[in-house]
Order: sequence, then C-alpha cells, then structure tokens
Amino acid sequence: MDLGEFITCHLTIRQQIHFWIWKTEPLNKLVCIMMQIRYNGAVLNLDDTQLASQVAQGDERAFLTLYDRYASHVYALTMRIFRDANLAEEATQDTFLKLWSRARLFRAERGSLLPWLLTIARRTALDRLRLEGRRPTLSTADDPEELWQTIPDASTLPDEARWRSMHLAVQSLSPEHRQLLELAYYQGLTHTEIAETLNWPLGTVKTRLRAAMEQLRREWGEL
Amino acid sequence: MTQDQIDDIFRENIPAYALDALDVEDARAVKSHLQTCASCRTELAEYRALSETLLMMTPPKTPPAALRRRLQGQLPSAQKRSSPRFVWSFNQLALGLTLIILLALNVSSYLQIRALQKQQVQLASQLQNGQAAIAMLAYPDTESLLIKADNISGTLLVDKSRNIAMILVWNLPQLDSTQTYQAWLIDPQGKRTDAGIFRSQPSQPYTSATIFSANDLTNFVGIGVTIEPSAGSPQPTGQRVFKVDF
Ligand SMILES: [Zn+2]
Repeated sequence: MDLGEFITCHLTIRQQIHFWIWKTEPLNKLVCIMMQIRYNGAVLNLDDTQLASQVAQGDERAFLTLYDRYASHVYALTMRIFRDANLAEEATQDTFLKLWSRARLFRAERGSLLPWLLTIARRTALDRLRLEGRRPTLSTADDPEELWQTIPDASTLPDEARWRSMHLAVQSLSPEHRQLLELAYYQGLTHTEIAETLNWPLGTVKTRLRAAMEQLRREWGEL
Repeated sequence: MTQDQIDDIFRENIPAYALDALDVEDARAVKSHLQTCASCRTELAEYRALSETLLMMTPPKTPPAALRRRLQGQLPSAQKRSSPRFVWSFNQLALGLTLIILLALNVSSYLQIRALQKQQVQLASQLQNGQAAIAMLAYPDTESLLIKADNISGTLLVDKSRNIAMILVWNLPQLDSTQTYQAWLIDPQGKRTDAGIFRSQPSQPYTSATIFSANDLTNFVGIGVTIEPSAGSPQPTGQRVFKVDF
C-alpha cells in the first residue's frame, strides 16, 4: 500500500493520541494511523505543581510520576523516624495515599511540593509512633549523626541552593545541638519528653534547643 | 510586664513551636498569641521555612519495588479492574467513536472501490469488445449480418479470413446462475461445434461475445446460440435463442 502520498489531516486528542489520515492514490482509500504518545514520557516533563494538579484530577500516571520522583525522600525520612523498614514502608504508602486524596489542597504559592509531602510524611510517621507508644532509644545502631553528615544527592532535590546552605548550617552545630534537633523534630519529642530522655533539667532543654535553632537560622541566613 | 516583655516570652518559644516540640500547654498559648501578633507570625514563617528545609536533609533511600506495586493496587483503576463494572470516560468514548467512524469510512470506501473496480473491469472488457467490433467493421473482409429473433436484435460480424466472429445483441434476457448462453458453429451437414459460452451483461443494454474459431470459418454455414447449463454442453440441448446463416 502506498502510504504518505497525502496527509489529509492530523488530529490530536488531549496531547496524547495522535491520528494521521492518509488518502492513498489511486485507490482513494482512507488510511488512519493512530499513535499514542507514551503518556509517561509526557508526564515526566511536567513540573511538580502541574503534576499535583493532574493528581488532583485523578491522574494516576501523574501520581506515579511523583512517586518515582520522591518516594526515596519520603522513605528515607520515615526510615529515619522509625528505624524499621516495615513501618517506614507503611508510612511511605500512607503518605502517598494522602497525596492522592489531598493533592487539591496543595498550594504552589506557599512552597514547593517536596517539603509539603515530607511534612505529611513526618506527621504520618510521628502519629504512628505515638500510637505505638514508642520512645526513641538513644543507643541505636543507626547513628543519627551519620544522617546529618551525609550529603544528599543534589540532583534529586528541587531547591538545591536552599538545602546546600542548610547542610553547611547543620554542620556548624555542635553534636549536642544536632541530637536535640533529632529528638525534637525526627522523633517528635516535646521539651518535657526530651528532658526525660536525656535526664536534663527542662529549662536546659528549652534553652539549648532554642539556641540550636537560632544558630541554624543565623548560619543559614548568612550562607 | 510590658507588651514587649510578654512578647519575648512567646518569641522564645517560636523555634520549638516550628519543630512541634512544645509541650501541649505552651503550644496552645503560642497558637493563640499568633492570632494577634503579626511579628511573631513573621518569626514563625522564617523558622517554618527552616524546619521544612531540614526535612529534605535526609539522604534519599530507595524503597522496595513491592511498595510501588502495592500502592498502584490501591488506585481506582486497579480497584475497577477487579470489579466487572466498566465505566467509559468521555475521552475513551470519543476515541472509540472516532475509531468506529474511521473504520466505517474505510470499510465503505473499500466496498465502493471494490464495486468501482468490478465496474471498471466490465467497462474495460466491453470497451475492448466495442473497439474490436469497430475495428472488425472497418476491416474490408468483414461481413455484417443481422440477428433477428423475438425481441432480440443485433449484428453478427464475421471475418472469415482471420476466423473471428463477434456477436452484438440487444435485449438479450438475463439468465439465472444455473444457465448460460452457448454459441455453436454450424457446418453444411448441420453438425454443431462448440464456439464458447457467454452471459448477458446486466449493466449494459447490449451483450457482446467474440468467437475465435480454431477451424476455418469457411467450413461453416452459420452460427447459433442456445441456452445451456452454466458449464456449457458438448452438443446443444436447450432452447434456441437465434440462428444466423452466413
Ligand atoms: Zn508576638
């Protein structure tokens, strides 16, 4: 069959499905070629905000694209909180299911998607931790100090400059200050709980945690 | 205490508030203070930006592949797949309709083409016959004889030097598929020799058939046509349609 003599028209449906219609000579027959451009390919080019709004409309492929982009960050954070692969997996799954059902609540003007997602992940994990009545053990094989030292891969993060300066700011803290941040932020402990865990006076915990945060802010702002 | 001193107390707690590390009572107090104090809200926004960035500081860790599959299994499309209910989305419907229309267009154009091709072949053969007939008429040795029978009239062109004869008849009735017209060459003894079968053409008011004889046409005295079974017969068995003497 002689194709390509006449391209009569080219239809595109939702930028995904393309039709080319040829009129062949001399048979005067219409030949229709349908091509579906790999949706994933198209989705991969979208930014987080576009993907989130697609997810809000129930687009599963956009959702899975976001999963592929950020599951490793969510999983890392929940592993840091639980230090248990099963619990971390469950919390990662719950976090993404929340992304699926709450994507319409994401407001791009208030910040990027990853911090929003990680905030959900942190809350989800800490709620579970509280539910299980678990308290952090300080003598763990997984050294939180190590987590602070490791430099994340820049290419996987959206605001590279932001976290790079934060990484340096964290390095400027004393190990004691980093431990306080770990307990407060990643283990979800309150002032009183930290005081109990470390056997410190409550006032000392308050002062030092505040000092740690103030120093972090100062260093981060200067960088 | 002055307003500034009160504010200082709350302000001290803002960093811990941004980390969700305040005890319940303190957190509640800060929360209500934030309602009325813009400068503490600004302070909190800065510490929130800090704590959000802290969340991204954990080095990424790839979760097991099974997790992605599990998650996919919880999406509506996977749920739908497990139940027999199938809902067409508007897009699928539009796509389906488009495909059906295109398919129908293709099929109908194909059928049209088939019909046209058939017609073309018929026309071509008739044109050929017509041209042959004109050529025969123009040939000096061609005899033109009248065909006359009930309701049927036509011409028999005989070219004895090249042993070609052509029958051109009008109003030849159409036969059903079990029957055919068969031409016979008649010799002086009345013996019939098969000269081929032909059918009337439904799309044309006249029928033409060409007879190429293996024997010398001068050995024959006429041509007859009978109706025979569709495969033809070795000797005439059916009704005579017409007979022409040379
Ligand atoms: Zn205030």
